[in-house]
Amino acid sequence: MRRSRLTGRLMATTLPVAFLVGSVSSTAVAEPMQARNMSTYGMPGGIETPTAEALPDGTLGGTLAYSEYARRHNIVFQAMPRLTTALRYSRIEGVTDHNDLGHIWDRSFDLRFQFLDEAGWRPAVAVGLQDFMGTGVYSGEYVVATKNITPTVRASVGFGWGRLAGESRWPPEPGDQGGKPNIDDWFSGSAKPFGSITWQVNDRLSLAAEYSNDNYMHEANGLGEDEPGNLNLAAYYRFGQGYEVGLYTLGGDTFGAQFSFSLNPNKAPYPSGLEKAPAPVRPRPAPAADPEGWSGQWAQDPTAQPAIQQALSDALAKEGQLLESMALSGNRAEVRIRNQRYIQQAEAIGRTARLMTRALPPSVETMVITSSADGIPTSSVTLRRSDVERLENTEAGKIASAVTLSDARPYPGDLVATEGMYPRFRWHIGPYLDLGLFDPGEPLRYEVGAEARATYEIMPGLILAGTLRQRAFGSMDQRGPGIPGQRGDHYTPEEYEADPSLETTPEGVPRVRSDTRMYRSDGPTIPELTLAWYARPSDTIYTRVTAGLLERAYGGVSAEALWKPVNSPLALGIEINRVRKRDFEDVFGFRDYEVTTGHVSAYYEFAQGYTAQLDVGQYLAGDRGATISLTREFANGWRIGAFATKTDLSEDEFGEGSFDKGISISIPISWATGQPSRQRAGSTIRSLSRDGGARLNVNGRLYDKVRDSHSVKLYEGWGRFWR
Amino acid sequence: MSMGSIRRTVMTCAALAVLASCGNEGSDQAESPFTIAARTVGEAVAARRAAKQEPATPPKSPAEMAAEALRVNPAPLIMVGFESLGRTQIMAMTGQNGATRTYMTPSEEALIIRNGMLVGTRGLGNDLSVAEPGTESLIRSGRSGSATRVMRYYSGDGLERPLSFDCNTGPGPKPGVTVENCEGHGVSFQNSFMVQGGQIPVSRQWVGPALGYVTIQTLRP
Repeated sequence: MRRSRLTGRLMATTLPVAFLVGSVSSTAVAEPMQARNMSTYGMPGGIETPTAEALPDGTLGGTLAYSEYARRHNIVFQAMPRLTTALRYSRIEGVTDHNDLGHIWDRSFDLRFQFLDEAGWRPAVAVGLQDFMGTGVYSGEYVVATKNITPTVRASVGFGWGRLAGESRWPPEPGDQGGKPNIDDWFSGSAKPFGSITWQVNDRLSLAAEYSNDNYMHEANGLGEDEPGNLNLAAYYRFGQGYEVGLYTLGGDTFGAQFSFSLNPNKAPYPSGLEKAPAPVRPRPAPAADPEGWSGQWAQDPTAQPAIQQALSDALAKEGQLLESMALSGNRAEVRIRNQRYIQQAEAIGRTARLMTRALPPSVETMVITSSADGIPTSSVTLRRSDVERLENTEAGKIASAVTLSDARPYPGDLVATEGMYPRFRWHIGPYLDLGLFDPGEPLRYEVGAEARATYEIMPGLILAGTLRQRAFGSMDQRGPGIPGQRGDHYTPEEYEADPSLETTPEGVPRVRSDTRMYRSDGPTIPELTLAWYARPSDTIYTRVTAGLLERAYGGVSAEALWKPVNSPLALGIEINRVRKRDFEDVFGFRDYEVTTGHVSAYYEFAQGYTAQLDVGQYLAGDRGATISLTREFANGWRIGAFATKTDLSEDEFGEGSFDKGISISIPISWATGQPSRQRAGSTIRSLSRDGGARLNVNGRLYDKVRDSHSVKLYEGWGRFWR
Repeated sequence: MSMGSIRRTVMTCAALAVLASCGNEGSDQAESPFTIAARTVGEAVAARRAAKQEPATPPKSPAEMAAEALRVNPAPLIMVGFESLGRTQIMAMTGQNGATRTYMTPSEEALIIRNGMLVGTRGLGNDLSVAEPGTESLIRSGRSGSATRVMRYYSGDGLERPLSFDCNTGPGPKPGVTVENCEGHGVSFQNSFMVQGGQIPVSRQWVGPALGYVTIQTLRP
């Protein structure tokens, strides 16, 4: 089992790759037709209409399109070679809802699947759903075919329903909370044709013309204008690394402009990273040249290990790694390292192995490198020193098949802690920036301030951690939740605090997240103050107990256990929390709401970097249900995923959006800068803060802590062993 | 660090916190993306400012660099010209494993060379992980022939990816020089080796699509 998985991983490293060398005229692998320009909906397309094109696999891009009818902020992700997804946040002019602003802010989500490749006379064909679970302003479906007519001219023809046929599904029926797939609407109404032609004038410039049946009925009515004509024209100009600007006209009277960018995880500015070269392997001298070192006699000397351990610890520290502890005998050495610098654990292990060849006496042949996640051993890689000497400067796959990966011993055994390792006090003071998205009144809100953070590791696995924040300025002021029945208006903090009955919605749901803005007070806040204890009761079970102020809104006790054998793609976990809602102002005070929340979780790592997680249990508001998350992970650390939670709250009880869902993006800083670091940039974009399906935000959950050094992720990044 | 000095540092830090960040965590773990972005911009501005204030002394010529390095550094030395980076550097041997030697610059960028044949680079951002030149014996013996050369790279998606090239070797335009012409994946390149007694004291070799060619000259074997 293990061997075949390993071979599977390594196969990925032996595929020929064309993209390393840039554009290649002929590739043997058929791939979906690639986009020429982005549409105003942020998808590969004509101008407004869709095409059957796709983006290079894994591409993450954004398009900002602006016309007098709308401002569309689109994020697009090529989730699989044939599956394109887009999330859109639009300001739609002339359309009004309860806020009565003359415009609405609207989220929408698209999917497109390209199911036929272009071949001979046959065009590429795709089917797509536009705005298939939003409020329905942009809702429409299509089937479209795209064909290269000449090497520079490409034509698309398709049939559209809903918006694409000029038939509006807005406004939603009264009482509809939106946010769920509108399956009844899909492909309903009459179908009308649309089409586009693009001409690639040169490498940078392309021109497009299209026939569209989208008549902008609501927008034009609201603005008191005539509907635009059916014929649209556009010009697009590409520059730099993945930037594009476009100018377009809808029907000749309305003009618009757009800007797009795209990032491809496969194309880093510094693919190998800019970290310094590793110290090379130092081969051992011939036995005749160092008979004492080869005899193992040195192991009797009590001063030998402390000296070697200190030297290795200093060398590892320069590599951003902590030598937590070490065991040394005449022919075997084991080190426990904490990797604080490299995204790929394999790189940390490879560098440690080379430093060990430089520090250890010649009689040591077996080297065990145990990865530690904040004091908890998570896996052991056992290498023969002679393999390390022999296989330096060969492909990484060779050393991979020469090592053994096993569960780390849970107990310390003969490991000796490095002097000065515990207790360990770390602190940091710096600025912070918080961003809030999707507030209908002001789509982007922010807060800036100063933050002090400290951690105190009393012994391996026992960690005291605290954060203190003081806000300086920003647009996220303290505010109560929205007033039911008067959407758009909010309680003042005083009103909300004065009447405890407001902490439950009229539908009877306790406000567990919808009053989050009450926690934005002016005074100092303590977002976290916890004592956490991590342990490993057996080879394959990890545990965590965290107590204290767990997050800004809740305090209490959180306990978790995780079963995760090192070579298993499956993991199972259970978490139980007893928490109480924290006071809005008093940093150590609590409110009356108290709840038990917890989940049983299953995690699975599929091939090709796709992972899935299923959580079933009771959420913060006492509602019961399940969360499913699907994530695509790249070996370089990019993570893009989507999740949805459905609980036993009804759509009316949940409110706008019907159920909780969102996407998450996480990009390693090192990918962009080339400088080695485990830091990430990213965010979770979700529906408005609602009370259904809300989970506790406790730090240090076990699965992500443990997994970096387990088989799937370790072997995925194994190509960096010798980096 | 004594408690008193910790307290002093913390107080100074607190006063500066909105502008700067400090602490005793390594910079690879502690900083927020916000701080990293601010620092990156700061460094870029500083670099531009430094570039404006060009030093008055002209840069040393390669010959002067070589003479100085030979005087102060007793290790085996090579002089390397990175054509695409537009710079020439002296590199000193920092390790040897069998016939394979690792040479580094003072800023710890490395070339890995086996008897004059480039087999890897480290720390340059677009590194060659390892090269497997099937043409090696042909080149050392100065014979004409063809063989496959596999070059493995760290790719942007985090993997080690091989590129395979079809190569032909033969005598070059100058006596004593063997050239190797390679083609594959839509690119072609030509390596030149001056071979003397199985050693390669001077060569021009292709590292990869991004780094292009390096010239390698042995200063002290």
